[in-house]
Amino acid sequence: MNFPAELKYSKDHEWVKFEGDTAIIGISDFAQDALGDVVFVNLPGEGDEVNAGEAFGDVESVKAVSDLVSPVSGTIVAVNEELADAPETLNSDPYGAWIIKVEGVTAQEELLDAAAYEAFCAEEA
Amino acid sequence: MISSLYIYSASGSDPFENLAREQVLLERGPADGVVLYLWQNQNTVVIGRNQNAWKECRLSLLEEEGGRLARRLSGGGAVFHDLGNLNFTFLLPREDFDIPKQLQVICNACRSFGIPAEISGRNDLTAAGLKFSGNAFYKSGSRAYHHGTLLLNADLDKLTRYLSPPKAKLEAKGVASVRSRVENLCVMEPSITKEAMMRQLITAAEKVYDFTAQELVFTPEMTAETARLTEKYASREWRLGANVPAAFSCQQTFPWGTVSLELQVERGIITHAGVFTDAMAWELSQLIRQALEGREFSRSAMQEGLLSIQIQPDIRDDVLRMLAEQEI
Repeated sequence: MNFPAELKYSKDHEWVKFEGDTAIIGISDFAQDALGDVVFVNLPGEGDEVNAGEAFGDVESVKAVSDLVSPVSGTIVAVNEELADAPETLNSDPYGAWIIKVEGVTAQEELLDAAAYEAFCAEEA
Repeated sequence: MISSLYIYSASGSDPFENLAREQVLLERGPADGVVLYLWQNQNTVVIGRNQNAWKECRLSLLEEEGGRLARRLSGGGAVFHDLGNLNFTFLLPREDFDIPKQLQVICNACRSFGIPAEISGRNDLTAAGLKFSGNAFYKSGSRAYHHGTLLLNADLDKLTRYLSPPKAKLEAKGVASVRSRVENLCVMEPSITKEAMMRQLITAAEKVYDFTAQELVFTPEMTAETARLTEKYASREWRLGANVPAAFSCQQTFPWGTVSLELQVERGIITHAGVFTDAMAWELSQLIRQALEGREFSRSAMQEGLLSIQIQPDIRDDVLRMLAEQEI
C-alpha cells in the first residue's frame, strides 16, 4: 500500500494535493483496494460547488456504489473526464488519476498527513 | 456494534416513496442497529445508479402500459418489480456490513420452505441454477445498505418484455445489466406467500443477529424527509438525467428520401443533433437540428420542437411518425 508523503488524506479516504489556490482531489490506494474493480465513475460538472464532508459524485465497483466525499468546500474548476472512459485508472494509478480540482477553498475536513493516515488505515483494515 | 434489530414493512407500493424511505432509513435510522426493511413496488423497472435508462429498458412500452421507471442509489443492473416480488433491505453501520451474513438471513428464510437456496457470485441467489434474487450495495459515510429482490410470483413475461434490449440503436456509457435465467419461488414451492416469506425473513434475521425484532417507527422528521426525497426519486432529473452520456440514432426511408438522426444525449438533454438526408436542402436539416438541440430526450419534447419550425408538412409528418415509432 502506497501513501505518498506530499499528499494530505481525509478519513473518507480521499487524497488532497494543494497547489497554490487549487486543491486536487482523488481517492487513496487504500480506498481503491477496498472498492475493488471500479466500473464507473459518476463525475460532477465543472462549476459545481462542493462542500466539505458532502458527496460530489460516486464510484461504482463490482462490490458497491460508494459516495465520493469532498474533503474541502469550494468550486470545481476541472473534472478528469478521462475517468468516464477509463474508470479502471482509479485502481491502477490512484494518485495519478485525480478526480476534481477545486478552487476558492473556504473550508476543509480534518486532513491527515501520510504517516497518520497510514496508521488510520491500519486500524480500519 | 449492532445492539438491536428493527423491522419496517412499507404499506404502499409506490416505488419513489419506497426508495425515499430506504434512503431515510439509511441516513436517519437507528445508529446502533440493523434495520430490515421489507417493501414492494407495483409495475416498476428499477435501474442501477449508473445505468442509462433507455439502454436498459423499453421505456416507452413500460410507460404506455402504466409502468414506472425508477433509479436506485446502489449499483448493478435493471430489475423488474411487481407485487409478486418482495424487496428486502438491510441498513446498518458500515463497519458491521457483512454480505455473507446478510445473505445468510435470506438463504435461511428460503430454506425454511425447502428451497435449496445458494449464493451465486457476489450478487445473486439461485436454486437449481435459476436466479430468484439479485442483490446490490450502497455505502455512504458511516452507513451502508444491502438490498435485493425476491421473485415470489412476479409476472416474468413483463419482466422479459420490459428488460429486453430496445429496438432503437443506442450506444451508452454506464453500467450494463447482466441477463440471467430467472424463476419464481412459488413455482418451486407453491406454499410460499408474501406474508409467509416476510415472517420467515424476520425469524431468520432474529436468529442470525440474535436479537428480538422490534418494529421501527418513523418520527415526524423522518416522514417529512421521506416526502422530500420522494419528489427527488420521482423527478425526471434523477431518473433520466444521470451523467451517463448516450448516442441515439435512427434512420428511415420515405418517398421523398432517406433521413437519419444522430442524437447525443447528456443528462437527459439532447446536446447535439446530427440530421442527414439525401433529399432535404441543407437549410432544412439545420432547422431540424436547431429544433431538437437543447430539448429533453423525450418523444413529446422532440415533437414539440418539430412543430415549432416551418417545414413542408409531409416531411414534418413523416419525421414525426418516425420519432413516434422509436422506443424513447
